[in-house]
Amino acid sequence: MDLLAALETFAEQCNQNQRLRQMNRDWSRLVELWATDTDQRYWLKSDAGSITAGIGEALEAELKISARNDILHDIFSGIITPTEPYNAGDLLVKGRQDDMMRLDIITLLIWGE
Amino acid sequence: MKRVVSVSLGTDQRDHQVTLSLLGQTVIVKRRGVNGNLERAESLIQILDGSVDAIGLGGIDRYLVMAGKRYEVADARRLALAAHHTPVVDGSGLKDTWERWIVEDLTKSQVINPSMSVLMVSAMDRFGMAEAFYQKGYQVVAGDLIFASHINYPILTRDELLELGRKLLPEMVKLPFWQLYPTGAQQLTAAPENHYKEYFDAADIIAGDFHFIKRYMPSRLENKIILTNTTTDADRAMLRSRGVRDVVTTTPVIEGRSFGTNVVEALLVALSGLTQEHDGWTELVAKARHELFKLTAS
Repeated sequence: MDLLAALETFAEQCNQNQRLRQMNRDWSRLVELWATDTDQRYWLKSDAGSITAGIGEALEAELKISARNDILHDIFSGIITPTEPYNAGDLLVKGRQDDMMRLDIITLLIWGE
Repeated sequence: MKRVVSVSLGTDQRDHQVTLSLLGQTVIVKRRGVNGNLERAESLIQILDGSVDAIGLGGIDRYLVMAGKRYEVADARRLALAAHHTPVVDGSGLKDTWERWIVEDLTKSQVINPSMSVLMVSAMDRFGMAEAFYQKGYQVVAGDLIFASHINYPILTRDELLELGRKLLPEMVKLPFWQLYPTGAQQLTAAPENHYKEYFDAADIIAGDFHFIKRYMPSRLENKIILTNTTTDADRAMLRSRGVRDVVTTTPVIEGRSFGTNVVEALLVALSGLTQEHDGWTELVAKARHELFKLTAS
């Protein structure tokens, strides 16, 4: 499963969504995603609401998310919501509660309902 | 004598007890705060189960009802299921009727009017009130994303509120409740000054959950009307000292406190044996509302 491709598509969907652009206009964050089974790290960056994605370490990340590659792929492809793996302990998050909640809300606004 | 206990996830600093007469019966009403501790709330409900006539769930909603759709909060479900004999209610059986009527009554009596702008600090948890404002033609800013999630995005229309509710609530209700709403000690701390001040400044009426209002309100609230729920004498004095014109509580103030909707619903269940699923519930709510507000006036 190509997680980078999923993250890039996710970023594109965020950027094309006017409401998300407005919601995230004051949100600048670096998020690191660690696929624990492949030991590969990725990043998502929000710069005043414009989202980009890439591969590699993000040492300065404000939010660090770790899970198996397939879980991260499925979350950022809209196949599952973050709530279920989070509540089951399969998705670990280090960072501010607000940032995690915002990522939840972004995924739900893209794929919810 | 009937006994009703409200088990609240809020602070125990607001605990109190009153005895009152309603619908021809005497009832003792007690509030027990557990400072945000869900396990303590659960074990307290287990202890009370079978020994009181009704239990209210305070500081947490079990059901969020929007346009006929009901979403169940997982943590509240767990608390409600801790009781096997005594009915456990969260106030949702009242909110949809009672809080609508308040907006209609205040408009009819010209305390408020549709030329006034409304900030509802949260509307998904009291859609009945929001709906009444929309129906009467008020301009409403719903602050659910702002105050619950710190996303600076005002919801400006009923349609968008419904759309966001449909997309977000099915998942949000599965999250630990403390992530969605201030509980325990969080209820006592104010957010930094001027946080989201512009929304308060722009509104004539500030409506909705008091903990959100208290946490985010600016130092001055000149000439504002506050329409909210559980407040104490000290809360109302503090609001007046900030310049508030009127504080209207959606539930009556008895012995210095406005009851939570969960308490009033628990009272009605204890006294009548009916629940919101029964025929005659709406009539009972209307009758009790009349009697309770008479108590306030006396």
